[in-house]
Amino acid sequence: MEAKKESFNLIKWAKSRKGQKVLICLAFTAIPLLLLLVFTYIPFGEMVKFSFYKMKYSTPVEKRVFVGLKNYIDVFQREDCFGALKLSLFYMAGSLIQLALALYLATILSFKVKGGNFFKGLMFFPYLISGIAIGFIFKFFYTRGFVLDTILQWIGFELENLPYWLKDQSVNNWSLVATSVWRYFGQNMVLFIGAIMSVDAELYEAAELDGANKFQQFIHIILPSIRTIVTLNAILSITGALSAFEQPYVITNGANGTGTYFVVMNEIAHVSQKVGLACAMAIVLLLIIFACTILQKLFFKFVFRDADSEDESYAAKKAKRKAEKEAKKNMKKGVA
Amino acid sequence: MKSKSLKRVLAVAMAATMTVGIVGCGNKTTEEAAADKAAESSDAEESADAEGTEESAAATDLSYADFEVGVDGVDLETTISFFNNRTDLDSDEYGGVNWKEYIAEFNKMYPGITVEVLTDTNYADSSLTHLQSGDYETVMMIPDAIDRADLSNYFISYGDYDTMSAEINYANRWLYEDQVYGVPSTATTRGIVYNKKVFEAAGITTLPATPADFMAALQAIKDNTDAIPLYTNYAAGWTMSAWDDYIGVTATGDIQYMNQKLVHTQDPFKNYGDDTHAYAVYKILYDAVAGGLTEEDYTTTDWEGCKSMINNGEIGCIVLGSWAYPQMEAGGPNAADIGYMPFPITVGGRQYATSGADYCYGINVNASDEEKLAGMAFVKWMTEQSGFTYNECGLPVVAGSSETKLAFDGVILQADEAALEGEEDFLNAVNSESELMVTAGGDTKIQKIIEHAANGDKSFDDIMAEWNQAWTDAQEVNGIEVTE
Repeated sequence: MEAKKESFNLIKWAKSRKGQKVLICLAFTAIPLLLLLVFTYIPFGEMVKFSFYKMKYSTPVEKRVFVGLKNYIDVFQREDCFGALKLSLFYMAGSLIQLALALYLATILSFKVKGGNFFKGLMFFPYLISGIAIGFIFKFFYTRGFVLDTILQWIGFELENLPYWLKDQSVNNWSLVATSVWRYFGQNMVLFIGAIMSVDAELYEAAELDGANKFQQFIHIILPSIRTIVTLNAILSITGALSAFEQPYVITNGANGTGTYFVVMNEIAHVSQKVGLACAMAIVLLLIIFACTILQKLFFKFVFRDADSEDESYAAKKAKRKAEKEAKKNMKKGVA
Repeated sequence: MKSKSLKRVLAVAMAATMTVGIVGCGNKTTEEAAADKAAESSDAEESADAEGTEESAAATDLSYADFEVGVDGVDLETTISFFNNRTDLDSDEYGGVNWKEYIAEFNKMYPGITVEVLTDTNYADSSLTHLQSGDYETVMMIPDAIDRADLSNYFISYGDYDTMSAEINYANRWLYEDQVYGVPSTATTRGIVYNKKVFEAAGITTLPATPADFMAALQAIKDNTDAIPLYTNYAAGWTMSAWDDYIGVTATGDIQYMNQKLVHTQDPFKNYGDDTHAYAVYKILYDAVAGGLTEEDYTTTDWEGCKSMINNGEIGCIVLGSWAYPQMEAGGPNAADIGYMPFPITVGGRQYATSGADYCYGINVNASDEEKLAGMAFVKWMTEQSGFTYNECGLPVVAGSSETKLAFDGVILQADEAALEGEEDFLNAVNSESELMVTAGGDTKIQKIIEHAANGDKSFDDIMAEWNQAWTDAQEVNGIEVTE
């Protein structure tokens, strides 16, 4: 009897405007949340669990051996795991070059340039090619006596003086980084152009009247205005550098000293079948990426501190704060 | 205006509440919803059927020996899938008989069975992923990295060892607890593919039989011809782990070495001092690279390209299993120039070569009864009637048959003995723990030999000492008794 009454109420509530609102909200959030849970968080939880086990992919659940923190200790003790992170420095250096190049070209292209759209397209194009195709292209590009060597010979280099681009371990990582820069700088550039477009054109006019040159305009108008997108791109590039995978994997298969952290992880998981260790590696990398991101945030907060306020510089704010402190101190003294 | 927007809100709300209903109520509602949609319903029923018959399928016993090709199951109407590594047989331009032609031939006997062939260049990894997903093909090549103990979870048994060894050779390839889970697609031996003309031009009259002779031969090729003496195929990766196949019978003359003794051996990679064992095998590679007897830039080697290069006399030799022999012949117009020689290691005055099963057909244990029967028909037909083994220059798989194109004179061909009972997984365990992955896709370690040899930054003895250390540690971790 009571249950009937209650369900009756429920239906009535569901039909009311308020009820509808709640139901719609629930319905629209439930599906994405469910997808997120099923395809992201549950697998991630499984991965965390795996990292405490010694197991292969094909090991049945009951035969997996719990080993505690051993996998994590191994990650820090093995030469190949942390040694591979050193390669990320190459990619980080590459990503800085990539950002600088993208920012430079974006600034130029956001002013009136003949054939601007053509150049934009041309430079964005590599981003659209599939990673596997890029692997093949660059394998031939770097092969002895092929594309790159031929071009360099045209401009006067001797073949004997040129290194083996992929074989020589002192240059092969730079070769791969160059590929990565070539592929991704166009994408960064397009994002920067988009941000620069939104800068109020009147600011340039005003700046010109004040006698600012283009470089000053860039430093004082453009850069502060697009700082969010610069920060975002920098964070994405650096984390991307830490998890570089595609270039070494498709071009050199990670052999010959080009095995980045991801490639090593893939090898350990899929060839040696040490799934637990590979999961531990993944989690350690995640923590490193977290740390890097936080550091970067702090760094950019510091760099763009002047841009945080509308009309006063960081120095002025600092002076003001100092004055306030002094005043407080004096007041305290006065009270005492 | 207002009423219209209210209607819209209501419509959205209705849709939303219905979705909530479906999500909230779980399986039952989803099934009902699926049943409403005609297009989806047939799929759902099919999968439901497959699940339904799973239990009953486990009870029936299919036996390879009792199955008669051309008699049993000829009126079967079903579709099976077949997953394998031979991407080259997908192409109409393939020099030999391709998959399409095999399947057409098969359908003459079994018109009702549709065979969908799937191939993958990265088979060793992909096949594991397929198995792991649980939704894998009816017939597939059993991946090397599977633990024998897990075989029965994935594949049906063809019969016990005694019955099967009367039917096929190499029945011990996938043997576990006296049950045979794999029928070899073909069988191969291990040697070196070489170009006869290049060897002739270099003045090599007798084929080298020891590492020293082989090195001298490579040097002669370098001095007297323009060909690359030894092509490493470094970049392809899997071509590197092929070197592991020579450390068994070929380098020791001992049929128990590979599967029984290796795991128990103390420091298997040490220098035995008589140009035998693993040390001698890998040293050939190290010395060839260090002596500049391989291609100039190993990082840009090209697997597909090497076939025409050796065919046209640009390469002296390549270390590869006999399965590669027909491919090198088909690589260009000079099929007659290609030869196949034994690996240059002599044990006690005799040369040996491993003969062993290539990838083996396994039949999905979770398939429906009908599909299993069709799979059995396909596997037995491929083995006995298709001529696949002969066409691919393999050694015979059918017991008692001597049909083969492969002439390997003066060499004792021997198959490795299977692992001892109860020790089937020892080699996998030690391999995985030491990460050397001997004969199980350990490309990286061989690539490193080449890198160190080329850069001169680590001596061969140091590399072998490292491997020995890793092997010893892995033996300890797995608690494996070290006898020698």
